[in-house]
Amino acid sequence: MDEYQLQEDRSPSYAQHAAADFETYVKELEQLQKIDFVLVELTLYLDTHPTDMQAIQQYNQLAQKRRVMAEAFELKFGPLMSFGHSFSRYPWQWVQTPWPWQV
Amino acid sequence: MNNGQLREWYPFISPCDPCPPIRVKTYVVPPNQYIVYQPMGLQQFPIDEALFRGTLWPALFSPYQPGTGN
Repeated sequence: MDEYQLQEDRSPSYAQHAAADFETYVKELEQLQKIDFVLVELTLYLDTHPTDMQAIQQYNQLAQKRRVMAEAFELKFGPLMSFGHSFSRYPWQWVQTPWPWQV
Repeated sequence: MNNGQLREWYPFISPCDPCPPIRVKTYVVPPNQYIVYQPMGLQQFPIDEALFRGTLWPALFSPYQPGTGN
């Protein structure tokens, strides 16, 4: 009975999520992916250029920006990473799709 | 299209080959093959573009046309 109630509570918010916010979800996830890619490139570059101060600054600035963006994203849409690397609200947010890798 | 990265190779055509010959084969030599050590401070793609280019640096960009084999 309790479980059923829970489902009832969840479905309208899911429908709302799917309709209104999905576009924002995709857009903001893409923004994160773009930054992640540049961070990967800079990481590989810095492995062979450890004294490039400018690149290190760029890397740190982007990492900072990514952290802020990821935090805002998680507040809005739920956790990006599992196993303790992201927080969850009540009820456990991983029950709700879409998961980041499904989008 | 490929910024001069596309090369051609003319393989030997054997008269004994049972298959129809492919006279020209093409392949891509990406620019990283000519860069021994990447210089510092190369010009970068904007963040919005890098992901879709597959690289952060225009100097290392190698186009790819899906389905054409290039």
